[in-house]
Amino acid sequence: MKNKIAILAGIPILASLLWAGTPNSDGTPAKTNEAAPAPVVFNHDDPSGMRLEGERRFRTNCGRCHAAPHKFPPRMMATIVRHMRVRATITDEDMRFVLYYMTQ
Amino acid sequence: MRYLWKDQVRRWPHLALFILVCVCFFPGTVPVLAAQSVDYERPVPILTGNAGYFTTYDNGTNELVPEVIPVLLVPLEDRWLIESRAEFYGGFDSSKGQPYGGEVHKDLDYLQADYIANRYLTVTAGRFLTPFGIYNERLYPIWIRDLNQVPLIFPIESGSSDGAMLRGGFALSSWANLNYATYFSSEETNTTLESNRGFGTRTGVFFNRPRIEIGMSWRKELADERHNAIGMHFAWQPPPIPLNLRAEYARSEYGSGYWVEGAYRFSQIHGWNQVMRRTELVGRMQQYFSGAEKLADSGGKYSLPHGDTQQPDFGLNYYLKDGLKASASYARWLGKHNWNTWTYGIAWRFAMPLARLGGQ
Repeated sequence: MKNKIAILAGIPILASLLWAGTPNSDGTPAKTNEAAPAPVVFNHDDPSGMRLEGERRFRTNCGRCHAAPHKFPPRMMATIVRHMRVRATITDEDMRFVLYYMTQ
Repeated sequence: MRYLWKDQVRRWPHLALFILVCVCFFPGTVPVLAAQSVDYERPVPILTGNAGYFTTYDNGTNELVPEVIPVLLVPLEDRWLIESRAEFYGGFDSSKGQPYGGEVHKDLDYLQADYIANRYLTVTAGRFLTPFGIYNERLYPIWIRDLNQVPLIFPIESGSSDGAMLRGGFALSSWANLNYATYFSSEETNTTLESNRGFGTRTGVFFNRPRIEIGMSWRKELADERHNAIGMHFAWQPPPIPLNLRAEYARSEYGSGYWVEGAYRFSQIHGWNQVMRRTELVGRMQQYFSGAEKLADSGGKYSLPHGDTQQPDFGLNYYLKDGLKASASYARWLGKHNWNTWTYGIAWRFAMPLARLGGQ
């Protein structure tokens, strides 16, 4: 019975996750929960700031488990960061900043 | 009613397939991630992994363990990743001056397809590392772990599952991220793909300013006996100093225990900085309390102690260059009998592209 309750509770959670990430019909990102933080602007006009933010997020996320590796070619780094996004469940935003930092 | 429910449980693989198909073909999720990757170089398949050679002197027995652990990563389009890890390792031991003898083993740790549905959710299907605690998924590779010997409770939380998993990480606020993984697995008796029927979940909150992560895990077996296992993990990297603190607790019918580990990198020492910044000192304390049942020895790489045990560990790592680490450690086994364990060796992480990188 407890298992049934767990599954019944899990289905709406899954549906919520899918709904939350679904963009609007015009292709713009979905409006998320009001309590959720506004995403940091990924500003290509400020490469220095982005690099600093990328380094900070690299140390915060990647440094939790391993020493800093040297930088790989961008196409390899894109694969590695995708792998680490899944493996270490880092956020999409962190992944993008780390990828920017590691490919500069 | 109970039999009906058991029958429903056996249909879970079908439910997993249904969820996977729904997510894959969920039309609304496509534009989000497609827009995310236009600024970057296209990812290429790569072969990465690690290799190592370790010698352990343990209670009068000398053991040589060469190992190669390749990891294959194949990205497909913007949202897919096929990944696999295998282990090839030998265990050649000698005691009392006898010649070395042993076997070479192979394991398939994971072979999984990941679909990044959106910023909150990744769907995984196939054989994957069971998400329980942090050691199995994050700290296990020999070039990452601070001590070559795994914690005593590692067999409680380690292993792989065959089934489907939902996971992800997202920001709760500007100062905290939530990560989660929930899965179910089916029973598989094939030795290469061995898996138990069950389900479980792990969730953690990472506070990014103090760099503290706290989380917990739960697993329910759905075999003949429906055991539960719970776990808790903690990690802290205090920002001002190069110190890495980690701890885990696990409890199941096979026993319970914990480990607490600290690793300090001497990068802030000014004298001999070229050497000191590559040097890391590690200490770990751990205890295991045997449970009501014995975990069947499947002939795998790791097994639980036969009785209540505690073990302090000390280690020294020296990072020769990126991805190349020499390490040595000492442990004192304190159980029914007491003895010393010395380990030393070298670990190397490699990575190579499997396609042309193009102009960089």
